[in-house]
Amino acid sequence: MKKIILNSFILTAFFLLTNACKPNFKTPDVDKGEIDVTTFVSIGDGITAGYANGALYYNAQNYSYAKLLANQFEQIGGGDFKIPYISSSSIGIGNANNAPSILGNRTDCQGTISLGPIKIATQGDLSIFTSNVYSTQGSFNNMGVADVKAIDIATNGFTNPFYVRMSSSISSSILSDAIAKKPTFFTMMIGLNDVLKYALKGATSESITPISGPVGIGFDASIENALNNLTINGAKGVVANIPSIKSLPYFNTITYNALKLSDSTAKSLTSFYSLLNPVIPFHEGNNGFVIEDVSMPLGYRQSVDGELILLSIPLDSVKCYKWGSLVPIPNRYVLTISEIELIENAISNYNSILKNYATSKNLAFVDVHSFFSSIKTGFVYNGVTLNASFVSGGVFSLDGLTITPRGNALLANEFIKAINITYKSTLPQIEATKYSGIIFP
Amino acid sequence: MFQIKYVFIFSFFFISLLINAQGFQVNLQGQAQQGMGGAGIAYAQDAASLFFNPGSSSFVKGNSININANAGFANSKFLDKNTHIISETKSPTSTPFAAYGLFQLKDSANLKLGLAVYTPFGSTVQWQDNWTGRFAITKLQLLAIYIQPTVSYKLTKKIGIGAGFIFATGKVNLQKDIPVIDVNGNYGHAELEGKANGYGYNLGIYYNPIPKFFIGLTYRSQVNMNVKNGEAKFTVPSSLSVNFPDGKFTSSLPLPSVTSLGFAYKLTLKTTLALDINYTGWKAYDTLAFDYENNTTSLIDTKSARNYKNTFAFRFGGDYKISEQLIARLGIAFALSPVPDGYVTPETPDANRINYTAGLGYNFKKHFAINASFLFTTFKREGTNIETNLSGTYKTNVVIPGLSIIYKF
Repeated sequence: MKKIILNSFILTAFFLLTNACKPNFKTPDVDKGEIDVTTFVSIGDGITAGYANGALYYNAQNYSYAKLLANQFEQIGGGDFKIPYISSSSIGIGNANNAPSILGNRTDCQGTISLGPIKIATQGDLSIFTSNVYSTQGSFNNMGVADVKAIDIATNGFTNPFYVRMSSSISSSILSDAIAKKPTFFTMMIGLNDVLKYALKGATSESITPISGPVGIGFDASIENALNNLTINGAKGVVANIPSIKSLPYFNTITYNALKLSDSTAKSLTSFYSLLNPVIPFHEGNNGFVIEDVSMPLGYRQSVDGELILLSIPLDSVKCYKWGSLVPIPNRYVLTISEIELIENAISNYNSILKNYATSKNLAFVDVHSFFSSIKTGFVYNGVTLNASFVSGGVFSLDGLTITPRGNALLANEFIKAINITYKSTLPQIEATKYSGIIFP
Repeated sequence: MFQIKYVFIFSFFFISLLINAQGFQVNLQGQAQQGMGGAGIAYAQDAASLFFNPGSSSFVKGNSININANAGFANSKFLDKNTHIISETKSPTSTPFAAYGLFQLKDSANLKLGLAVYTPFGSTVQWQDNWTGRFAITKLQLLAIYIQPTVSYKLTKKIGIGAGFIFATGKVNLQKDIPVIDVNGNYGHAELEGKANGYGYNLGIYYNPIPKFFIGLTYRSQVNMNVKNGEAKFTVPSSLSVNFPDGKFTSSLPLPSVTSLGFAYKLTLKTTLALDINYTGWKAYDTLAFDYENNTTSLIDTKSARNYKNTFAFRFGGDYKISEQLIARLGIAFALSPVPDGYVTPETPDANRINYTAGLGYNFKKHFAINASFLFTTFKREGTNIETNLSGTYKTNVVIPGLSIIYKF
C-alpha cells in the first residue's frame, strides 16, 4: 500500500513537472471589425480561379487565394464558399486545351536529361468545357475565370469556355452572376489579362485594353461599372492592382543574353555576320540573342539589355537549330523595349484607376504590384527563402504566370493585411509554409 | 536554363544552453549553491567550489566527493504574431550533472587537489512536428562536459588561490526541415551531427579580509568548441539528391568566458548571505558559420550573424541552519539576456529572467550529507528574427529539481 501511494505520488509529481508547468498563451482575439463576410464573392482571372501549372484542375482550385481567404473567413462568420469544381478525378484543362504540367525529367534535342515542366497528358480533359456545372454545383462564390479581362466581366453571354461551364445562363455575365449571389463582401483582382494577352504574343497580336471607352471597351468604365454594381447593396470589399510583367518568371527566366558561345563558335558567327548588315561581334561567353526586327535592313539585329525573351520559346530550336544565333528568334517570342514600355505604361495607368476607385468607394486596397516586386527581389518567410525564380522560387507555378499554393497563401495574407487595416478587423494570417511550392519528383 | 538552383541557407543556431541558461551561471553545478540563487563565488561550502571558485577549495575541510544530479523540465511555446498559431516544444527531460572529488595531500595542509566533471551545457530542444519554425529548427541537442583537474592553495589563513585546466568535450545534433516538397507531400530534412572538443581554464582567488566577510574573484576562460568531422545528412526528393550530398562539415562555437565577483557574509552563527556578480563574455558569439565539404549551388557555406552582447547576472541567496543537521536555503537571480533584439531564435528563446530557488541540506553524522534544490523561472520574449523573419512571442517555463550526495572523509 505504501509503495502504491509513493509511486502515485512520484507519478503525479512527474506529471506536474512535465505538464502543469507549460506556459500559457491567451490567443489574440479575432474580430471581424466592420465587415460582414457571410456571403463572400471573389472576382478575378485565372489566379482567382486557382488556375496553376498551365491548367485548371481540382487540386489547384482548392488552393486559390480566394478559397484560402474563404477558409480564413470562417473564423469571422464566413459562410459556404462555392467553387465550380472540376471533378477530382479529372486531369483538368488549360486555355490551349492542354493538360497541366508537373516537374519531371525531360530529354532535349542534344540528349541531355534535365528537370523541367512536362505535361501530364497530350491534351486536357475536353469534357470540362462541354458540361455546365451551374445546375449541380452553383451558384458560385468564386467567380474567378481564367483568361478574363476587366472589360469582359459585364459581357452578357460571354463565350470564354471557363465561364461557359459555370455560367447561370447563356445570357448571363460574370458580373451578373456575382451580383445575383448578393455578396456582403467581395474581392476583385482583375486587369492583368488586359495587357498580358498582348504580352504573351510577343506584342505581335491581341491588343492592350484602352483606358477610355464605354463598359466592355474601356478599362476605366469597366472597373467603375463593376465596383458600382458590387457595392450597390453596401457590400464592402477589396480591390487589388496588377503586377508588372517583369515580375513574372514567364518574362524574366530567359535573359536577353543567354546565348552562350565557345570561342570558336563566337569567331565563326562573327565572321558570318561580318558579311551582313548589321555586323554583330560575338565573343566567348554570354551574347545577346539575334532576334527578328522588321525595321532593320535585313530584318534582324542583336537583342539588347532590357528586352525580354518569353518562356514559350522552343528551347530545342535554340539548342539545336541555331535560333538566336544563325536564325533570328521570331518576334512573337520577344518583347522589345518599346513594347515593354507600352505594356508597363498600361499597367501603371490601370493601377492608378484601380487605386482611385478603391479610395473613392472606401474599399480596401491590395498592392499586388509591390507584392510581386518583393517576390522578384526575394524574401525570407518563416525561414523559407522565396523568390520569383522559375521552379525553384517556390511562389510561381510551372506556367511562369500563376502561383503555387504557397504563393496563393502569401497573396491571401496580403488581402488579410489590407482588410485588417481598412476594416479594423483582426483576422489572423495564413501559415504559408503549410502550403506546397513546386513538387519535386 | 531550367537547372534547379535551390539555394539552401543553413542557418542553424548552434547554441542552446540548457534552456534555463543565460550564460553558464545557471549553477546546476552545486545543490547547496543552487538553493541560494546560484551564488557561491565567495562561500566555500563544499567540493563544488572547484567549479565556483578554485581559490576557495583549499578552505573546504577534509576530503570529499560530491555528486550532483538535476532534472530539467523546460517547456516553451511560440505564438506566431501573424497567424496566431501556437506551437510548443516536446523536449525530453535534461539531466545535467556535476561530480567533484577534493583531496588533501598528507604532507601539505595548504594544498588541495581536485577533479571536477560537470555539464555547463546540455539540453535538447525539440519542437512539435510541422511547427511554424520547422525550416529554422526542429531539434537541437547539445551536450558539453567539462573535465577540470584543479589545484587550490591556501597562501595565508586568509587568502586562497586556485587554478583548473578545462578539457571540454561535447556533441551536437541539429535538425531542421528543408522547404522542398516531394510527390507525397513530405518536406526535406537535414541533420547535422558532430563531436567537438576544446580547452580552457578556471582561475580563482578567495579572500577573508575581516571576520565574517569573504570576497571571491574568478575567471573561467572562453572555450572554443570545434566540430571537425561533423556528418551532414539530407533527406530530399530524389531529383534533388545531387544538390544535397551527404558529407562532412566543420563548425565552431565559442563557450564564453565568465568573470565573477562574489561576496559572502556570516550574518549570524546560523545564517550566511551570499552575492555573486557574473559578467559573461557573450560578445565572442558573433557569427555562426558552417563549412560543408561538398558544396553545391544549393548547399553553400553559411555565416549567420549572432551579435550576442556581454551580460551581467546577479545572484543572491542565504542559508539558515535550522538544526545541526538541517539547513534551509533560499535565493533569487537576475540574469540579463545576451541575445539582442532581432536575434532571438527558437533554440534560444532567451529573455531577461528572474530565477527563484530554494533548497534543503541534511548532514548525516560525520561522513554523509545530502542536498536538494529547486529552481523555477518563467520568461517571455517577443520579436522578429532578422534571418528567418519568424515573428512572435516565446514563453518558457523551467523547473529544475536537483539532488546531491556528499561523502566526506
